Amino acid sequence: MQDEESLVRRAQKQDQEAFAQIYEEYFDKIYRYITLKIGDAVEAEDLTQQVFLNSLRSISSFRWKGRPFSAWLYRIAHNQVVDYLRKKKKMTVPLDEKLASADDNPQLATERKLDVEQVLVAARHLTDAQREAISLRFTSELSIAQVAEVMGKSQGAVKALQHSGIVALRRALTVKQNE
Amino acid sequence: MNNKEFDNILNDCLERLLLKGESLQQCLARYPEQAAELKPLLETALAAREATTIQPRPDFRARARYEFNSALKETAAGKSRPSWGWFPRWATVAAIILAVVLVGGGTVVAADSSMPDSPLYSVKLATEQVRLTLTPSQIAKAKLCAQLADRRVAEIAYMADKGDVEQVEILTRRLDDKLELMVAFIEGRGGINLPGMPGAPPEEAATPPATYFAPTQPPAATFAPPDTPATDEAAPPVVISPAGEDWGSRDKSAGNGNRAQLKNTLVSDAAHNQAVLLQALDEVPELTRDALRRALAISEAGYEEALDALE
Repeated sequence: MQDEESLVRRAQKQDQEAFAQIYEEYFDKIYRYITLKIGDAVEAEDLTQQVFLNSLRSISSFRWKGRPFSAWLYRIAHNQVVDYLRKKKKMTVPLDEKLASADDNPQLATERKLDVEQVLVAARHLTDAQREAISLRFTSELSIAQVAEVMGKSQGAVKALQHSGIVALRRALTVKQNE
Repeated sequence: MNNKEFDNILNDCLERLLLKGESLQQCLARYPEQAAELKPLLETALAAREATTIQPRPDFRARARYEFNSALKETAAGKSRPSWGWFPRWATVAAIILAVVLVGGGTVVAADSSMPDSPLYSVKLATEQVRLTLTPSQIAKAKLCAQLADRRVAEIAYMADKGDVEQVEILTRRLDDKLELMVAFIEGRGGINLPGMPGAPPEEAATPPATYFAPTQPPAATFAPPDTPATDEAAPPVVISPAGEDWGSRDKSAGNGNRAQLKNTLVSDAAHNQAVLLQALDEVPELTRDALRRALAISEAGYEEALDALE
């Protein structure tokens, strides 16, 4: 992708080609981010599309002030997710009973090949902040600095969340040895 | 080793594994003392990353791309900005005076609480522009912009409740303009003509030297119909007051105090307006929700930027 700043400036001037490039660059990353955040790959599709429609309508409000464009875009995605989860908050999602508690003697599921459903279910055990950090780091491949920008936290805080998030994810992916 | 050091080592390994393509063994070899603790965490991270390297379904991707391209074309077809923002300065002021003369001062007062679906709303907007013009200092203008942004948010919630998507979008652009203007004043860039200010030319036009804002303390502008006898029946004069209490202040500590005060105001405004829009989101008709979500995003980004500017 060409220099992001000039691309975004062109998009702000309604350059369709520039915006299309941004769309292609970020679509899958935003989709994966949302999927892990909400735990539903199908629902994530519509939310992803909505993120890009919202960004198209409000890109004129983005201003370069040393903050990456991705931080702005992920902020829109974050808001979209918050709005979605707020509507769904009364619906409790039953956890997969195959997932064990932290006290179980573990044989890690990671020793086998995981599927996306397992990870999504396990991710429900994480705190919001842990899930946010893990989503941005692993599914969107943002640097620690970028994640810190998106989350409005220090890089040290993000590293700590990353650590505790992986520990929590591992714990949740643990299965009883005899199952 | 403390937690912070381990967090840094774990992060270094993740960078190498996930972004630079190093193998797990290579990473562990770099940190033999921590290898036992690192190994299960890195395995989990790798497995989770692999499992979540998913993509949307092809049929959805195709549909989404088509919808997005359609939206792009619609946007490129262009929506004109509210024309008021590009009025010459003299025309703006003249229009206000004319409005006051023609419709009377009471109308201006009544207009102050009008909503966009009211015939008096244009008077309200015009009055706001005059207040902004007459407010002398940059920080006082920023405060006024904050007040006007609050108004736009209330109007957005009101029109969203009425199901008027177009008005919500227009008001959102006005909100964006006000927040952008507020940032410009905070950063001391308010001496130039800015979008959304009366007298601001189209973006490509040459901008004359900054003469727009009065450099000294002006009096409050009092408009009264000329040659009107001072009787009880006469419409009351309308005082359109500039905002802020720091007129003419050049004192640095006072300036710092004003910035701190403004910061507190903005923190509170940001939370309040976000709550107003979120509450509205629960209550408004479905067709206005997308527009309302955009207003939320604009509001959040605008206040965030303004608070950054005050740091």
